[in-house]
Amino acid sequence: MLPFLIYFAAGTVTGFHVYTLLSLTVYGAPFNLLEFVALLGSLGLLIAAYVSLFRPYAAARIALIAALATWSFYGPAVAKIIRSRLGAAAVISKVSLRLEGSQY
Amino acid sequence: MILPYFAIVVLLLATAYSAIVSFRQAPKSAEANWAFPSAAGQRSRITIGFATLLVVLAFVAWFGLSVRHTIRRSSRFLIPDRYRGWVKVEFEVQGAPPLPLEGGQYVLTIGPDGSLKTSSLEQYGWADDSYFFYSPAGVHQIPDAGPRSLIWGKINGEAANSTGKRKYEEFFVGTQEEFKAQPNGEKGTHP
Repeated sequence: MLPFLIYFAAGTVTGFHVYTLLSLTVYGAPFNLLEFVALLGSLGLLIAAYVSLFRPYAAARIALIAALATWSFYGPAVAKIIRSRLGAAAVISKVSLRLEGSQY
Repeated sequence: MILPYFAIVVLLLATAYSAIVSFRQAPKSAEANWAFPSAAGQRSRITIGFATLLVVLAFVAWFGLSVRHTIRRSSRFLIPDRYRGWVKVEFEVQGAPPLPLEGGQYVLTIGPDGSLKTSSLEQYGWADDSYFFYSPAGVHQIPDAGPRSLIWGKINGEAANSTGKRKYEEFFVGTQEEFKAQPNGEKGTHP
């Protein structure tokens, strides 16, 4: 039951999130191919969830491939968030250093 | 806002779990435990199958209902023969006559100035509207699709002024060249 719950939760949550992002193309947002790949990955996770009820080890391999497909979208997104946070922190430290070094 | 973070966490969990199970040696059935179980029992499969069926049925019902709400009654526009320019239909105008129904279609007879006021509510959703030129000699259909179409730039809108909110629908009657030749300032005649 545990593998079913893990794969099902991952497939449902990522699928819903990526689907909402993809649906924004209707309102003129640019189409991102990685979002589509990630949506297929979410579908793969849902398939793996049901396969895990019968063959847990085959399901694990399906889930791993599907999860990697989903990471094709989330990976760059996470990297970008981390990079922007680190970049923002660097700018703040520069400013604070300047304030500390200034005569005001 | 929490959804992307939650998605990343569950995806991380699924990736780690599937990777561990994939690369670890398959144990004999006697060694299966709660973390790495063997195939689910008959009872679990039936429960999950039944729950999935319920979810699918609920989704189909919801989708069917939402599709019914997006379909509206079609309209038949009767436009004066040889009319060229913008047609404006104003809805929910107090004192104006309601739209008549003929053969399950709303009939919108546009006046010689290209306008119509009605007390009927504006309809939203998908429908196959039709357009006709009318004259004392009779009516003939106006092409409304393809390069020879004479109907362009159909829009729905809502405008507020001193008399309150007004809902309207507009479209241009003419060739594509005539539509494109419209100066920006003359596009649409919002009430």
